[in-house]
Amino acid sequence: MTDTTLDSAAAPVRTKVRRRAALGSRPVWLQAFDSVWLIAVVFVLWWVFSAKSTNFFIPSLQEILASLGGDLGNGVILAGAAYSLTNLAVGLILAVAVGIILGIALGELDRLRLIVDPIINFFRSIPQAALVPLIIGAFGVGQGPKIYTIAFACMWPVLLNTIDGVLGIEPTIRKFSQVYRIPKWLHFRRVVLPAALPQIVAGIRVALPIGITVMVVSEMFAATEGLGFYILNSSATFKVSETWAGALFVGVIGYILSVLFVVFERRLLRWYFASAAK
Amino acid sequence: MSVDTREAGVPRTVTQLMKVRGMSMSYGTGTAENKIIENLDLDVDTGEFVSIVGPSGVGKTTLLRCLSGLLQPKAGTISVGGQEIKGPHPDLAVVFQDYSRSLMPWMTTRENVAFPLQGKGRGKIERNALAEKNLQAVGLEGQGDKYPWEMSGGMQQRVAIARALAYNAKVLLMDEPFASVDAQTRFDLEDLVISLQQELGVTIILVTHDIDEALYLADKVVVIAEKPATVVDEIETGFGDHRDQVETKADPRFAEARARILHRLRAH
Repeated sequence: MTDTTLDSAAAPVRTKVRRRAALGSRPVWLQAFDSVWLIAVVFVLWWVFSAKSTNFFIPSLQEILASLGGDLGNGVILAGAAYSLTNLAVGLILAVAVGIILGIALGELDRLRLIVDPIINFFRSIPQAALVPLIIGAFGVGQGPKIYTIAFACMWPVLLNTIDGVLGIEPTIRKFSQVYRIPKWLHFRRVVLPAALPQIVAGIRVALPIGITVMVVSEMFAATEGLGFYILNSSATFKVSETWAGALFVGVIGYILSVLFVVFERRLLRWYFASAAK
Repeated sequence: MSVDTREAGVPRTVTQLMKVRGMSMSYGTGTAENKIIENLDLDVDTGEFVSIVGPSGVGKTTLLRCLSGLLQPKAGTISVGGQEIKGPHPDLAVVFQDYSRSLMPWMTTRENVAFPLQGKGRGKIERNALAEKNLQAVGLEGQGDKYPWEMSGGMQQRVAIARALAYNAKVLLMDEPFASVDAQTRFDLEDLVISLQQELGVTIILVTHDIDEALYLADKVVVIAEKPATVVDEIETGFGDHRDQVETKADPRFAEARARILHRLRAH
């Protein structure tokens, strides 16, 4: 087996550096317009075509938004969102911490990577949502098991991308670290971690929507709180417009989080994007 | 006038700093063994500038890796100040060929220069002061807040030189340090290294395939050739402290030494 066993199997996500450069010459207002017009068209079409819907399971958008507005107003959705997002945040933080630490260890230690490689590929291939009832069954119905499930699912992209990032470190930089006798801990913190960071952040970006999905699914089993519970409960009581409202709200949260993430990524990897633009 | 001191055995008044005896290096073992360097001797005095010149692919990079402690030779000894080298050593610093890969793009130039000092346990104020001082020495005063990728290739290599100087090693090893810059920048960097060497008294071993560069910079040129590589000639250049890109290269001794080196390299 070679060094590339893990990354070829994992097909990690590359960061998109060049994509923005191609758009560079167009005016800002036009770019802003381009990023919103399609979604506006979709909503208008949805509104128009669902307006006279008689299908019980496809209520009109007007009804859905009315339910959303109502449950936002009375705090039901926001209380659920607070619970869900807490689970997501803690789960993601755990996933990122474990993924980076394990990833750096596996990236640096060839022998360990060789040994653990099959296990990693086995576990990452298991559908994460399928584990939800098992984990909750095994560890109980509280908040903890939901957080662990999110953490477990989100760890894989972070772990695999960290390994890939560590393996991709410029050999000259490694030689520099050796010749100048950089102590191990300093080497990990100031050389390996920043060098692998673009790949790590790309892994976190992939983990985010996975986390949102698992967050919702985890609240559909033995839960009394959260957005997943709101969706499941409304559907069980045939309040279909609330089910739609919940799904729509999760979508909006996902969108907002991904936008915030891009801002965070640009700040954290300023050197990376700036040097790539040269 | 060129004198082969190794065979002549001229008594030295200066102190010897680096000594290599019977060094051999190979990759693989048994029938697959690929001998790169065999039975190589090298002497470097304190404050001396030694160029090691040889054709591409002769094993110069392997030699430099052995000298820097990155590779362990299969046979022979390398010592600095009487102390045998078994791995990377605080008395040895390296300027790598590819500046764009050896500087860290997530650190400013000041941080790049100061970073190895953190490994030596120096405090932040001292590190930054040393970084600033050495950036100034290479002509990059006040550029510490810039990132390497905001600079030209020549400036980046100056940062790499400042980093090596700040490390305060006794010997500076340079691996074709000017191979990836344009000709004018190359001359500037050559002159910079000469003046730094004279001001700071640092000992430099520079590996290059460029005969003119080897001669222009060095007090002593060591010619390596053959397969496996070994020392085939040593020339004391004798140009003294004053070097000039035009004058020195027009010196009859320069032409004579260059002809001799070319002859040696062609013979093998």
